[in-house]
Amino acid sequence: MDVIESDLPGVGKKHEVELGDGRRLVVVTHNTGQRELYVKAGEHADSEKLFELSDRLARLVGTILEGAYFQPVQSEHVETVLSEGTLLEWYAVDDGSPVAGETLGSAGIGRETGATVIAIQREDEVLSSPSSDTEMKAGDTLVVVGDRESCDALEAMLSGGE
Amino acid sequence: MADLLTIGVLFSAIALASIGAAWLRTSVIPLYIVTGMVVSPAVAGELVVEGYDVPAIAVTEFVEVGAELGIVFLLFFLGLEFDVRRLLDQREQMTRAGVIDLAINGGIGLLLGYLLFGSALAAFLAAGMVYISSSAIITKSLIDLGWIANDEAAPMLGTLVFEDLVIAVYLAIAVALVSGGGDPASIGLSIVVALAFIGALLVLVVVGAPLFQALLQSTSNEYLVLRVVGVTVFVAGLALAIGVSEAVAAFFVGMGFASTGQVERIERLLEPVRDVFAAVFFVWIGLETDPQLVAGVAGLVLVAVVVTTPTKLASGFLGGRAYGLGPRRSMRVGLGLVTRGEFTLIIAAVALQGAGGTLSPTVATDISAFAVGYVLAMSVLGTLLMQYSSPFERLAAARFPSTAP
Repeated sequence: MDVIESDLPGVGKKHEVELGDGRRLVVVTHNTGQRELYVKAGEHADSEKLFELSDRLARLVGTILEGAYFQPVQSEHVETVLSEGTLLEWYAVDDGSPVAGETLGSAGIGRETGATVIAIQREDEVLSSPSSDTEMKAGDTLVVVGDRESCDALEAMLSGGE
Repeated sequence: MADLLTIGVLFSAIALASIGAAWLRTSVIPLYIVTGMVVSPAVAGELVVEGYDVPAIAVTEFVEVGAELGIVFLLFFLGLEFDVRRLLDQREQMTRAGVIDLAINGGIGLLLGYLLFGSALAAFLAAGMVYISSSAIITKSLIDLGWIANDEAAPMLGTLVFEDLVIAVYLAIAVALVSGGGDPASIGLSIVVALAFIGALLVLVVVGAPLFQALLQSTSNEYLVLRVVGVTVFVAGLALAIGVSEAVAAFFVGMGFASTGQVERIERLLEPVRDVFAAVFFVWIGLETDPQLVAGVAGLVLVAVVVTTPTKLASGFLGGRAYGLGPRRSMRVGLGLVTRGEFTLIIAAVALQGAGGTLSPTVATDISAFAVGYVLAMSVLGTLLMQYSSPFERLAAARFPSTAP
C-alpha cells in the first residue's frame, strides 16, 4: 500500500493512494484547507473528481473513516502500525484476566510473548516505562509494542486462552 | 467626486467584475482590465448621458500606490511558494522544461519585439511579456478542470516555478535598464546596484531564517499579518527608493518567510490582502490604457498572438516530454501554458516608468497598450484552449503515436 506525496506549488499537496484494484485515490489538499478527492482508473489515467470538502468536514470524515466513532469489525483494541511489521497496540486487562494481580515479570510477558509493555494506563494516570515489578490490575490498559505474532500471543495470554 | 466615494465606486466595479467572471466562468484578470478601461476618464469621462457627464475614476495617488502594493504582494506570494528544495528535487526535468520554454519563447519574443518596436530595450521588454505565462490564471484553470490531480500538473507547475525564478532576475535587470538613463555607464551602475541589493537580500534570506522565525512567533493572526505586511512593504519601498525593482525585493522577502515553516498560515491569512491589491493593480492597468491605443496596436497584438501561441504550445509540449509524459498529456501542458497574464502586465508597468526617459513616450505607451491587448487575447484564448483541449489531444496522439498515454 503506497501513498505518493507530491508538491503542487501555489496550490498545496497531492497524495495518491493505491486502492489495490489498480485504481488510485487522489487527495488534493489546498493551502486554504479545502480538500478535493479524485479517483483515477489507473496510474496514468485522467482523474475524475469525486467531491470536495472543507477543512472541518474533511477532519470529521477522516475520523469516521479512522473508526473513532464506530468500528464495524469487532476489535477489543486500537492498532497502529509503527513501521512495516511493528505494531503499537492498546489491550485492556479484563476482570477475569489471569494476569490481573501479577507483575509484568511474574506473568512473563516479555519472555513468553516477545511483546514489550511500554506504558500502562490506569484510570486517569499513565505509568510510563513500567519495570518488571510493576503490577497489572483489572481495568488497566496496556500500551504494547511488538510484531503481529507477539501481539497476538499477548492478547491470548490476557484472555487466558492459548 | 469625493475621494472615499471614488474608491468605493472603484471597489464596487471590481466586485462587479468578479461576479461577471464567475458568471462567464472565465478568469477575472481580463475583466478587471476591461473594467478599468470602462471607468477611466478616456471612456466614462467622455460619455455624456442626457446632458450629464458620466463620472470617471481618475488615477489618483491611492490607485497608483494600491497598484504598486498589488505587484508587491503578487511577487511576495511567488517567493513564499518558491521552495528551493523542490527545485532541487525536480532539478533535471524542471531545468530542461524551463530552459526549452525560455529559449523558444524568450528568443521569439526578442525577435518579435525588435521587429515590432524597433529598439533593443523594447525588444527586451517584449521578450519578457511573451515569455512569462500566467501563474494565477493557469493554476486556477488547473483546479477548475481537475487537471491538478493528473500527471500534467507537475510539468505545468514546474515550468511556472522556473519562470518565476527567471522573472525575478529579469525584472531586476529590466528596471535597471529602464530607469538607468541612456549611457552605458549609468546603466551599468544601476545594474550593479540592483544585483548588489539582490545579493544582500539573498544573504538575508539564507542567514536571516532565525530572524524571520522570531518575527512570526505569535499565535495572534492579527500580529502575524501586520508583521508580514510591515516587513514586505518596507523592504519593497526601500528597494524602490534606491532604484531597484520593488517586485524583486518582495519576491526575496517571500522566500525568506518560506523558510519559517509557517507558509500555509501566511498564505491563508494574506491571500485576501493580495487579492484586493492585485485587483487594484489590474484595474489601474485598465485605467492607464486608452482603448483607442489598444485598437491602434491591434495588428501588432494579432501578430504576437499568431506567433507566440504555437511557440508556447511547442515549448510546453517538449516540456511535458521532458517530464516523461505521453503526447496527449504533453499537448495539455502546451495548451495550459499559453495563457499570459499578471507578469506581462507588471512588465508593462515597468515600461510605463521609462516613458520619456529611456523609452520615447510613444513607444512606452504603445508597448504597454500592446501588453494589455496581448493579455486580454491570451488570457481568454489560453483558458478556452484548456477547456476545449480534446481535439488538440487527439491530434497530438495521432501525430506522435506512442505507448505512453
